[in-house]
Amino acid sequence: MKVVELVDVYKIYKTEYYEVKALECVNMAVKEGEFVAIMGPSGSGKSTLLNIIGCLDKPTRGEVIINGVETSILSDRELTELRRDTIGFIFQQYNLIPTLTALENVELPMVFRGLSKAEREARARELLKIVGIEELANRMPREMSGGQQQRVAIARALANNPSILLCDEPTGNLDTRSGRQIMDILKKLNEEERVTVVLVTHDPSLADYVDRVVRIRDGKVVEDVF
Amino acid sequence: MYFELARRNLERARARSILAVVGIVIGVMAIASIGIFGNTMKQTVLERFQDEADTILILPRYTEGYSGIDEDDVELIEKVNYIDYAIALKDERGEVEYKDNKAFINIYGVKDEDDLKKLYNVYEGSIKLKGTAVIGYRVAEDFGVEVGDKVSIEDKNFKVAGVLEEQGMKAGISPDMAVFISMDDFDNLYDQEGYSLVVIEAESIAYVDTIEESIDSLINKKDEKVEIRDFQSLIESVEESMNSMTQFLMAIAAISLLVAGVSILNIMLMSTFERTKEIGVMRAIGAFKETIVLIFLMEATILGVVGSVVGAVLSLAGGYYIISMMGFSTAYILHLSSAFYISEGFVVGTVTAIASGLYPAWRASRLEPIEALRYE
Ligand SMILES: Nc1ncnc2c1ncn2[C@@H]1O[C@H](COP(=O)(O)OP(=O)(O)O)[C@@H](O)[C@H]1O
Ligand SMILES: [Mg+2]
Repeated sequence: MKVVELVDVYKIYKTEYYEVKALECVNMAVKEGEFVAIMGPSGSGKSTLLNIIGCLDKPTRGEVIINGVETSILSDRELTELRRDTIGFIFQQYNLIPTLTALENVELPMVFRGLSKAEREARARELLKIVGIEELANRMPREMSGGQQQRVAIARALANNPSILLCDEPTGNLDTRSGRQIMDILKKLNEEERVTVVLVTHDPSLADYVDRVVRIRDGKVVEDVF
Repeated sequence: MYFELARRNLERARARSILAVVGIVIGVMAIASIGIFGNTMKQTVLERFQDEADTILILPRYTEGYSGIDEDDVELIEKVNYIDYAIALKDERGEVEYKDNKAFINIYGVKDEDDLKKLYNVYEGSIKLKGTAVIGYRVAEDFGVEVGDKVSIEDKNFKVAGVLEEQGMKAGISPDMAVFISMDDFDNLYDQEGYSLVVIEAESIAYVDTIEESIDSLINKKDEKVEIRDFQSLIESVEESMNSMTQFLMAIAAISLLVAGVSILNIMLMSTFERTKEIGVMRAIGAFKETIVLIFLMEATILGVVGSVVGAVLSLAGGYYIISMMGFSTAYILHLSSAFYISEGFVVGTVTAIASGLYPAWRASRLEPIEALRYE
């Protein structure tokens, strides 16, 4: 079963003076339960690709199919629901809401889904436990290290039981040790909870963690290795 | 959670939030305290008329050629139901002289001295009309007359038996500048057919209309002989004009709220810029556009409600200050009718704040998630 399928996807940025083909005729698919890494040098179009998979951005041309649904026909509201319920995002900058505690940050996607306070809190605590920082539930983001913040971000991404976790350089801002811990958590989630993970990185050493590497250069898929 | 989020964001920019709240406080205070002040003025004026509300005046219809009310008609009026009393008077402008002072003032002929006692209280002396006169407070003041002195009315001497209390307008007459004598004495001085005025006191305000209808059908059946007047319409028009004056002053005060609104707009716009990334994150993880609008409007609402509550409370103090400065009685500040103006200030303050938050909230919700996320 394919969770993600891209068909002839183009993304062209047009500015006043030049045109950038960030993605050029990308075809790829991600199967349920896979752990895929998208690798390539900086500026090769990895983030653009991930954002298109995550329905944050729309392709200039081509089809993006998530869980069998062609997304180009969806309204803004439907796309938001899709992101909320089936996609989990993890960013390089963690991107926690600075005014909310760790627990509240994890609750937020469930707030958007309209869950009750009791349900939200129970699930959020359970998720913080999974990422190993249950004792930091009441900390504000600024009171936590980068590694701890990224764990909160992972817990938040898992809040609504997404079918796919999209991670854009999740270890990019972390030291090697914290980075490895984050990768271990992702690996564990993939193996034990059967979460589908798509990871974007330019760090070749992370290739060991994944089932499959998609190499991208100048917006084109140059290698797709199992 | 949205409320918490809004509250914490306001706290994060505390100085700015306080400034916005102060703006609203001042605006609401200005509106509500001017409202309270206007209301006090209205109540003070209305209070003067309130005693008159159950008074009905019957006058000859001069425009139809009637210069007086017949004795028969007065008797008919006296028998109408729900009347406390009906007092028939004659009046004439007459020359009054005391020592070297001379003036033309209203002379009233009263059928019975008890009638006069029903209408007015005595200040000095007593109400006696047996060849004697009872004079109004201002007459006594201006002429320097005291009880026991003799004044001359149309060159005939009257001993002053009493001076009435000062009272302004009462029973359709200004008794302060009038002289009252018995009807016999009046008829000796003047040749006047019929009465020039019948003052009726209803048992209660509720009967005013019924009494008026009875009199109208009794006397005005064949011919429009008398004119029936009461103070209801006067009270209403005074009330109306006082209300519109108050509303006008409040509208001027509302300009200060406009300034507060602009400052909220400014603050919220700054906030949307600063939080662009945060908005992008929320949209990415599943917040609808409406949710973003809600969060920002909630902030504006909190600013508005807090500012309006404080402003409403302080307006009591502000109202007290203006009223005592202008020399009015402060008794009406806690009157129920003041609550209307306080709530008006509160509502206008809150609505202004929310309205000022609309544009920033809408702008924030329109950010493309991907652009917002890229924002540094
Ligand atoms: N909003 C944008 N406008 C113009 N060019 C863009 C925009 N976003 C990305 N690009 C360009 O597209 C290319 C791919 O960018 P990106 O996907 O961020 O690469 P990566 O994540 O692999 O570093 C780059 O050349 C970048 O400059
Ligand atoms: Mg990138």
